[in-house]
Amino acid sequence: MKSSTPPKKNPILPPDKENWIIKNPFEEFKTFTASTPDLPLDQIVQSAEAVMDRIRWGYEKLLEEEAKELVWMVQYNTIIKAYEVAEKYVKEIDYTAEDIEDFCFALENTQRIPYLIPGPAGVYISALCNDVKEEEIVLKLSELKTEINLIGFRLPKGKRLVIEGDTGDFTGIGLEGGELIVEGNAKNWTGAGMRGGKILIKKNIGLHTGEWMMGGEIYVGGRVRGLGNIVEGKVYERDKLVFPGKVRYPNLYY
Amino acid sequence: MHEPHRLSMEEQNLQSIIEEIWPKLKKKHLYPEIPVPKVRGTPDPEQGEAEEDEGVGLEMKQKQMTINGAFVSQMKDKMEEKRVVEALLDHGITHYTFCPWDFHTHLRLYAEAKKVVGDKELAKQVSNHFIDVIADTHCVKKRFTEIPELHRNLKKGTIEEVIAFLYQKIWGVDLGIPPSKMNVKGHAEIVRRLARIPYLDRSRWGESVQKFARSLKPLLVEEQKQQGAKGGKGERNPQGEHDLNHYSNEEIDQGLRDYARQTMALSEFKDVVEDFSDELKGAGYGMEGGMGRGQGNPIDADILFYMKLAENYSIPLKKFPLEEKGSLHPHSHSPWEVGSPFQDVDIWTSFGKIMPGITQIWTKREGKGRGKIEGTPDCLIAIDSSGSMINPRKSLSYAVLGAACATNAYLQNDSKVAVYNFSDAPMGGKDILNYTDRREDIYRVLCKYFGGGTALDLEDLMPLIQGRKNLDLFIITDMKITNLEALIGFFGQIQNRVTAVHIGDNPYAARFEKAVEKRKNISIYTVKRKEDIPHIVLGRIRDYFNPTHIKNS
Repeated sequence: MKSSTPPKKNPILPPDKENWIIKNPFEEFKTFTASTPDLPLDQIVQSAEAVMDRIRWGYEKLLEEEAKELVWMVQYNTIIKAYEVAEKYVKEIDYTAEDIEDFCFALENTQRIPYLIPGPAGVYISALCNDVKEEEIVLKLSELKTEINLIGFRLPKGKRLVIEGDTGDFTGIGLEGGELIVEGNAKNWTGAGMRGGKILIKKNIGLHTGEWMMGGEIYVGGRVRGLGNIVEGKVYERDKLVFPGKVRYPNLYY
Repeated sequence: MHEPHRLSMEEQNLQSIIEEIWPKLKKKHLYPEIPVPKVRGTPDPEQGEAEEDEGVGLEMKQKQMTINGAFVSQMKDKMEEKRVVEALLDHGITHYTFCPWDFHTHLRLYAEAKKVVGDKELAKQVSNHFIDVIADTHCVKKRFTEIPELHRNLKKGTIEEVIAFLYQKIWGVDLGIPPSKMNVKGHAEIVRRLARIPYLDRSRWGESVQKFARSLKPLLVEEQKQQGAKGGKGERNPQGEHDLNHYSNEEIDQGLRDYARQTMALSEFKDVVEDFSDELKGAGYGMEGGMGRGQGNPIDADILFYMKLAENYSIPLKKFPLEEKGSLHPHSHSPWEVGSPFQDVDIWTSFGKIMPGITQIWTKREGKGRGKIEGTPDCLIAIDSSGSMINPRKSLSYAVLGAACATNAYLQNDSKVAVYNFSDAPMGGKDILNYTDRREDIYRVLCKYFGGGTALDLEDLMPLIQGRKNLDLFIITDMKITNLEALIGFFGQIQNRVTAVHIGDNPYAARFEKAVEKRKNISIYTVKRKEDIPHIVLGRIRDYFNPTHIKNS
């Protein structure tokens, strides 16, 4: 019958060397500990990452619901609907203005967010800005390669949104009393349908500025390329009132 | 001659402190390959360096760290000398072991920072601060270090205060900055932004340094204005400046090579090289006309770009039989004697015995024609720089890159290269460089751009070819050559190995291909997209030297 215990091995060392002590070649590193203390930085970065995941998830859900074929048409109804969906997801997240800025940059990183569809992205960022706790939001977007459309949509009273960099089309549309400051240029249809509040564009602005604007003020530090059909409100070009006024006519290109 | 500073008693004491703690430090940092740090003697006060010097604790040149005795003694009242030295060395070692690690990373961080701040000096400051924050944070997290204590006691300007407050926040250590101090001018907001950066995640350093720059930019701009108004330089970094002195010449070469390969964009590379031109000159770049080492003319960033980029590719170059060699061969037997070499013993006629009188050895004689010495011939590179080709000084020219790779291959095999850069040669649009092994001279001619019509003047080529028995030809063009027939006729007469690279399919290229298709010494490579040149040329050249893969063979 076989024994269950393995046979005892003969010592390999010659008898005169039996007393040799085997030295651990890593003895020097005995005191080295691989475990490292957690710094507050780790926690800050981890929680920022967790928030970013939630924001990203909300954006992906918005795309799933509103841009199934990855195509999105800018129409009054589609904007309203997309905003409602965006608001629904945004309300579930606890985030800060810095998270919004990080999300804007993450949009350009295809490894982090595979699809950047300017319309829904702009609506989603607007929803984030409108719902954030801070009253003043500063987004340093000068190095962003994409000009975000629809930013500042429905910015409510009491909120101040400062964008460092340029913005795309439909900047500040449907503004609801908030203050929107763009340090660079803005494209076409800026302030379209705004009801109140103030938009300050420090450089130039495109066509159809203030189309169907119902109230509020638009200040442009540079040139206004073209005004839209304005119902009510004021538009200033380099401190000079251009609407209401006799000098400028709707959609006249300068 | 400038006399080295003599070590005072105090500095000798400092040196003994370093020698005492150095084994512990090496062990703590897992034995980096760094020499024992030195102490720098107190400078002569008459030279006026003393005051400026006290502010900097550590100097790093290549891998030699030098502790400033004046700085340590200045800190003595606040912190024990040993702890100051340990903190400074922890910081210095971490630059070599973690961030920036190598010159390429340093350049990359600088380039990313410059995209945000736009200004060279500001970008250098941003990248230096960023590198320091990473190194110190890594040290605080991974090692037991005196760095926080050092920061607590350092003299601070506005930016240093903000960074110290950042450390308080991300390390969870009190460095003596009250939160009330951060309420001014939105400093708290800056710190809040800075604290969100994943400093220890190496894979995200590119985006992190941009965010760091965005957040710190207002402070840096303000400080720059203040300094401009004062007309002076800012405070020096007490933990040592980060310049090219950190790196050895080999590290700088490797860094530039990696950066050129990674960006593949001439303008970006040029920007960075021009920004670092003073430092690069100090490191020995910028010589007479090219990019070898030595003092002299300004750095030509374009040439350096192609040089470093081409170093990333290597072309295997099969050697060519050039001359007959006379090797020794066994001729007759002679008796072996004690003391004679064993390797010549003929075991068959010696019956396997080593015994004088029985054993026989081979006597060898020099033979004739049993082989040829292999070598690499010289090469004549003809490069088209007419208007239809890309201007290599405006954007990345794959034609120049291809020719540069071929140049390197020949030079590495101890051959010489001549260059015939042509546009409208009969009208003077040409540059000829005779056979040389001076790489920078060759690159300078390769990078020349004429931008006119395309015509070869064969009379220019003849002196470069005549009298050379073995010579390779390498021509790179789009084949829209006015006197193409003359070129075809010329190639029909010569027996040299010719590698012809043409861009795109066009009737001229088709005509050339058809005319020389039966010539086995001519290999033609078609490139449909210009971007394919470096890959296809390099691959095909290998094929060319391997006869089994020659096209049309």
